[in-house]
Order: sequence, then C-alpha cells, then structure tokens
Amino acid sequence: MYWLSKKRNIIGMLIPTLVIYTIFIILPIGMAVFYSFTKYSGIGKPDFIGAANYIRLFKDHIFWVSFKNTIIILAVDFALLMVAAFFAAILLNNRLIGANFCKALIFSPAIIAPIIVGIIWVYILDPKIGILNAVLKSIGLPSHLWIGGPVLSPYSIAFIYFWQQLGYIITIYIAGLKMIPTDVIEASTIDGASDWQRIRYIIFPMMKPQISTVAILVITGVFKIFEIVQQTTNGGPNHMSETLVTYSYSTTFSRSEYGYGMCLATITFVVSLIIVAIYSRAVRSKED
Amino acid sequence: MVQSGKKRSVMTLLMIVITIFAVFPFAWMIMLSFKGNNDIMLHPLSFPKSLDFSNYKNALSTLNYPQLYGNTFLICIISMAIELVVTFMSSFVLARMTFNRKIKSLVYGYLILGLSISPFILLFPVYRISVLLHISGKLRLVFPYVATSISFNTLLFTGYLKKLPAEIDEAAIIDGCNLFDLITKVIIPMSKPVIATIVIFNVLYIWNEYPFASVMLRDVTDYTLSMGASFFKGKYSVDYGGIIASSIMMIVPELIFYGIFQRNIVEGMTAGAVKG
Repeated sequence: MYWLSKKRNIIGMLIPTLVIYTIFIILPIGMAVFYSFTKYSGIGKPDFIGAANYIRLFKDHIFWVSFKNTIIILAVDFALLMVAAFFAAILLNNRLIGANFCKALIFSPAIIAPIIVGIIWVYILDPKIGILNAVLKSIGLPSHLWIGGPVLSPYSIAFIYFWQQLGYIITIYIAGLKMIPTDVIEASTIDGASDWQRIRYIIFPMMKPQISTVAILVITGVFKIFEIVQQTTNGGPNHMSETLVTYSYSTTFSRSEYGYGMCLATITFVVSLIIVAIYSRAVRSKED
Repeated sequence: MVQSGKKRSVMTLLMIVITIFAVFPFAWMIMLSFKGNNDIMLHPLSFPKSLDFSNYKNALSTLNYPQLYGNTFLICIISMAIELVVTFMSSFVLARMTFNRKIKSLVYGYLILGLSISPFILLFPVYRISVLLHISGKLRLVFPYVATSISFNTLLFTGYLKKLPAEIDEAAIIDGCNLFDLITKVIIPMSKPVIATIVIFNVLYIWNEYPFASVMLRDVTDYTLSMGASFFKGKYSVDYGGIIASSIMMIVPELIFYGIFQRNIVEGMTAGAVKG
C-alpha cells in the first residue's frame, strides 16, 4: 500500500475533513470560550470584561435553578433508562410471539424529531387540554400541573425523554444480551439458578460494556435535551423549568446577551464533561 | 430455557403494555388531528364526531409544504454528498495508507474528539463564522451538518476500512489501478454496508435537526420541516389542530421510511453507540 502513500495524496485527502472540522467544530469552541469573557450585544465589538460573567453566573438564581433541573432530569432518566430499560430488554429478548413486531414499535419514537416529541406530549400533559388530567378528573382524582407548574416540569421532561429513548436503549441492551453464550445460561439453569440469580450473577456482569455505553449515552443525551423543554414549557413559568441548555440558548438568542450566553454554554459543556469523567472514574475504581 | 405457560403469558402481557406505552401518543395525535380546535380544548376525551380534514387543509394553506420538503431535501442531499466524499477520503487515509503512526493516531484522536462535543456550545460561534464567510440562506446549514457528522463517520468508516484485507489494494495496484480507480472501483463497492449505515444515520439527523436550523434560518422561504413544525406557536393564538396536523405531515414520511428500512435504521442508529 505504501506505493500510493505519497505525501501529496495523504495530505490532499485529509485536508478537506480537517479544514471543515477545525473551522466548524474546534474554532467555535475557542470562540465560545473567548466570548464568555466579554460583554457583547451583537453590535460593534465585544468588550473584554474578564471573569465578570462567571462571577455573575455564580450569583445568578436562574442558573442554579437550571442546574438543579438538569440534575433532576439526569437522575430520573439515569434510573429509568439504566434499570427499567435493562429489564425490558431481558423481557423482550425472550422469544415471545410478536416480539419482533413489538420491538419495532417500541423503537419508533427514537426516529422522530425531538421537536415533534415535545409537541406530542403537550397534548398529553398540558394541564388544560391534555388527556392525563382529563382522565384523572373523570375518575375523580385531583389533576396536577404536569408541565408549566412550579414543581413537576423537570420530572415530566425526564419522563418524555425516557419515552423517546426507551426503544433505542433496549436495542443496545439486547445487542449485549445476544452476545452472552447460550451454554452459560443453560448451565446456570441446570445448576438450579433462579431467574434473579441468573440476572444478578451472570447477565449483569456480562453486560457491563453495554451498561457503560448506556450510561454515557444518557448523560450526554440529557445535556442535549432542548426541543422537549422548548415545546412543553419554554422554560417557564418565570424560568422555573429552565435547563442549562435552554437557559444558555434563551440568554444568547432571545435576550441577545452573547457574552453571558456563551459563559453559560461553556459551563454547561464543562459540567457534562465532568459528570462523564466522574462516572468513568467510579466505574473504573469499582473494577479494580 | 423451558418456561411455564403461565410465566410466558405474564411476559407477553408486559410486552404488550410496554408497546402500548410507546405507541399510544402517536395514536392519540392522529385521533386529535380530526377534531376541531374547540373540541380539543373543551372536550379532551371525546372522540372525533366525523373525519374532519379541516386541520390538514388549514396546515396546508398556512405553510408551504412543497417548499419545506424541498428545502429539507436540498440541504440533506448537498450535506450528504459533501460529507460522504470528504470523510470517506480522510478515513481511507487513516485506515489504509502508511505514514508516521504517531501523526496518524493524533489525527484520528483529533477527529473523534467531536463525539463528546455538544452542538449547543457551537450554535452562536458557528452562526458568526457563517456570517463572516458570507454564506447566506439555507446553505448556512450545510457546513454545520457536514462538520457535526465528521467524528461519527470517521469512527465507522475507519473501523470498517481497517477490516478489509490489505491484499485487495496490492492486487488492484498490480493490475494497474491508480489511487482513484482503487477507491472508486474496488473499495467503495466493498463498503456499501457501512455507507448505508452512515447515510441513514445522518439523513435522520438532518431531517430532525432543529437547534442549528432555528439559529441559522431567518427567512420563512428557507425553513426546513422542523422549523415548520414550530411555526404555529407564537402567533396571535395557538392553533392546536394546525400544530397537530403539521406534525403528522412531518412524521408520516419518517415512519414510512422506518417501515421500509427498519432493520437498517436500527442498525445504523445503534452502530455508533455499540462501537464507540
């Protein structure tokens, strides 16, 4: 192969990718960090103001509300997608009649645009026009402000995200289950292991790579939830259901505070990287 | 595994419950789309009295659907053409050409880095860059879409191309192929499965993408489908029926696409996760 590995060929074929990637992925991160140290309204030149945005951020009540909401969504989805989807995958991996058809349907929300997912769930959770409260009322139970109220919004958003991701995560788990050799499972049955023992001592340890994959996907995925919040609550009322992503977006694009918006975006990005790092370290230290 | 009949029926029941959970919101949307606005607001639980298509007519007259589909297709085709050519070439270099190993792994690592970068930190800077480069209208979306695909495509393409035996290249060159012939006549035909995976994954991403579109597109005539879906809100009043009908018109092509290519789509979407 070294016959064709001329320097000219190598460089010529790498350059387009490297240029596009550097200009549209790497450079923007540098710019975001740069803007985060400035005050910029889009007109004229950005004023350098040092760490003032970061100091403002620590005193910003809405920032901490968005931080808290993001952590709530992460915790709820972590529990639901790591645990519930795991058991659903074990269930669907049994050769039940119609399992393939059901798997296909359960996967379908994952291919829909997130903005449509948000829209769909408005018609279910909206306190006035949603079906959930209508059903609760008709059977005599109290209705709740599932979205747009002071408390429940982040939990509802987490639940909507769970609905969208369930089939996708199940598929990843099933791919792992299929790799477990059948004779191991058969041997455990002959040895008289109960279902729970089989899951706890055979399936669970052998699924560790997939469980790690899912964990990373859930963490990075939660930090990309945007359209669902925008469609269901738009961060309201009074910024109470804002997440880190929506708060940085609305600060940047609705209020045109580009400097502070980029400071929020930078911190959001750093927080997501820190959580991934904490998770990876926790897993590694357990394995030692 | 031998299981008793009772246990199997409990499991089947559970499976059906999960399936209904996944499908119910779609069914509910379709039902609502045939109800008038008043009915939706005042009687959420009632069934539509008759098949009323006025929501669809309303959506069709408010939004220019041929244009929304046209814009989405155009951006999709241009972005896909550029990203496939560009990332296939660079992945071919990284997977099959011989040069300094340190530089090679450095370039690979650099290109893979993007997998952990959230698009939300990029939105405003990328908007500024497009303005500086004098890219205007819907074409502003092309380079962001190409750029965000690079890490994923590099991961999948290099992984696949490394597995093809090196003897293929040698045989082709001895038979008189130059580099261009080798890639277009030998390697690309052998790479069809991975190309299909990458096309499906990225077409779905572009079709569904909203954050970049919402920042880059100013003119209604440039709107893509996801922008169209958000169009009904924020006007003078919320037209619930119109929103539902327009949403359904956006997802129906996706669901048909999914029905036909179900296996490939599931594979395409999980490939990155399982390999990464």
